Amino acid sequence: MNKQMTAAERLSRLLAVIPYVVERRGAPIDEIATRFDYPREQLVADLTGVLFFVGVHPFTPDSLIEVDITDDEVQISYADWFSRPLRLTSSEAARLLTAASSVLSEGYGLTKATNPLVRALTKLRLTLGDAAEEAVAVQLGSTPQNTLAPLQSALVHKQQLEIDYYTFGRHRLSKRTVEPLNLFSDNGNWYLQAWCTLAEGERIFRVDRIHSLRVTNNAVTRQASSTARAALTTKGNEPKVVLRLQRDCEWVAQHYQTESTSRADDGALIVELVVLSEGWLEHLLLQLGGRAEVLHIDEPLSASLVSQAAKRVLTRYC
Amino acid sequence: MDKLERLLNLTAALLDTDRVLSAEELRQRIGGYPKTQAAFRRTFERDKDDLRSLGIPLRVLPVAGSDPPIDGYRILRSEYIGQEIHFEPDELAALHLAARLIPVDGTQTGLLKLGGTTESLEIQEIGQVPFNDNLAALIAAAGERSAVAFLYRDARREVEPWQLSFVRGHWYLAAWDRQQQDQRLFRVDRINSKIEKLDAATEPRTTPTNPAQLRSWELGDGEPVDVKVVVDSEQAVYFGYLIGQKISAEGSATEITLKVRNFEAFRSFILTFLEHAEVLEPQSVRDDMVQWLKELA
Repeated sequence: MNKQMTAAERLSRLLAVIPYVVERRGAPIDEIATRFDYPREQLVADLTGVLFFVGVHPFTPDSLIEVDITDDEVQISYADWFSRPLRLTSSEAARLLTAASSVLSEGYGLTKATNPLVRALTKLRLTLGDAAEEAVAVQLGSTPQNTLAPLQSALVHKQQLEIDYYTFGRHRLSKRTVEPLNLFSDNGNWYLQAWCTLAEGERIFRVDRIHSLRVTNNAVTRQASSTARAALTTKGNEPKVVLRLQRDCEWVAQHYQTESTSRADDGALIVELVVLSEGWLEHLLLQLGGRAEVLHIDEPLSASLVSQAAKRVLTRYC
Repeated sequence: MDKLERLLNLTAALLDTDRVLSAEELRQRIGGYPKTQAAFRRTFERDKDDLRSLGIPLRVLPVAGSDPPIDGYRILRSEYIGQEIHFEPDELAALHLAARLIPVDGTQTGLLKLGGTTESLEIQEIGQVPFNDNLAALIAAAGERSAVAFLYRDARREVEPWQLSFVRGHWYLAAWDRQQQDQRLFRVDRINSKIEKLDAATEPRTTPTNPAQLRSWELGDGEPVDVKVVVDSEQAVYFGYLIGQKISAEGSATEITLKVRNFEAFRSFILTFLEHAEVLEPQSVRDDMVQWLKELA
């Protein structure tokens, strides 16, 4: 953590550090710093320069907390007020429950962690109530049956795949041989990062658009050139579009990657979006209709793209 | 005086006392507060907010014998500790691992309270799940079986939450709707107020509707209408996957009938396929689509 910690952030850490040290009758300073994500210098300053002066009225020596650091070993005494950890709030428990449920829901090959995770989930119920276990259901992405498991297996065993892939923007099916590199989920979809021999480059495939796949015996030889997240993040040279959105379609700003958002004087939301593909933008604008206005669009795209798309679709009806 | 020192002294004083303390008493006992009354009040309010943001259960009660009543404060040790949960090291490690694989906003403060992390994990996340305070409140309500109220598309709803599910990138709430006297599904991102907690839930919980089984055009209150569409052969398999039907990739264009309750969601869905899909009947739905497109053409 590089930026200055707020007083509340330091307080939340100290209230966790004190019971930890008291229970163990002392702990090494470096261990505390790592365990509680507390930069060592800040930790030492807070222990000796702040906690040492904490207590209750009348602040005579016998009503103050005692802190001692000798040979990098921290001792804390007379801190009875803070000797037990602060309760987990239902909000914190709900967040942990969601993370744990998400991992369990996909059975993401976590055999080692799975059992303790199930036990941990059960314990979170103590904070959240008996009905908590069924309170959260997470689907990281919807995928056709029998797709995710062979993909995971091919990744682990480093086997190449043959896939039939549906390219969304161009609405075309293609057969490709790929070397799977990474599998990850974002915003409700699973993605496969892979080296594609057809495109002769690394590509990101939406797993739900893989129509069929076959695991081959050819080995994967390449390595991912970036993390999955970086691969999904746009490169910066894609065209952008600036839209003016009416109130009932502000979900667009939450659902897609925005470069910037602002409010116009009349309260309308102005968003700048990365154009993922021409087909994607055509669909988005046809779907929003008159509720979105194109204020600016980068070359080579043009604002007439909406009307052109509408005319193309209309030819089917006339 | 460092603000951290004042917050620690304030918490200690509130835990130490066996009666409620007024703001003025706290000011005298703790020190480190601004001299003027107005500045003290502002600082004291911010301090209370800071304590509450960490989950410290600050009680506000009238000071005994005060007339007119003055607000007094204290923290009960039993509430401060709450329901203590002991996690085994492997359980804690598993929770850490889960929070790293699926980073959910705000898991860190919870993990710190449970005893921090044993090691820094060099691990890549496998996905992201959005999260916010409303979701936390709804999950808590579902867990302890209490009713809540909120504004949904600007209308007040009173419901008993059953399940929160994250499907296709959106959070849904399955809940008993007290006004409709029926189960309803809500999109959490369309709730445009904070969650207000009400009394205990009374309706027995049954199996919650799974939004993964429902398509957006099926979410509505009216009677379903059969709508026939035709999809080009190359798009048919993906179309079939999205509507939950197996469609063979062979042959020419495919005709499919959908049961539609929400026509706006239906239109959005069909337009996904641009000129590769077409509404055939009923004529009224076809006309609506033509009208919609003509306004854009």
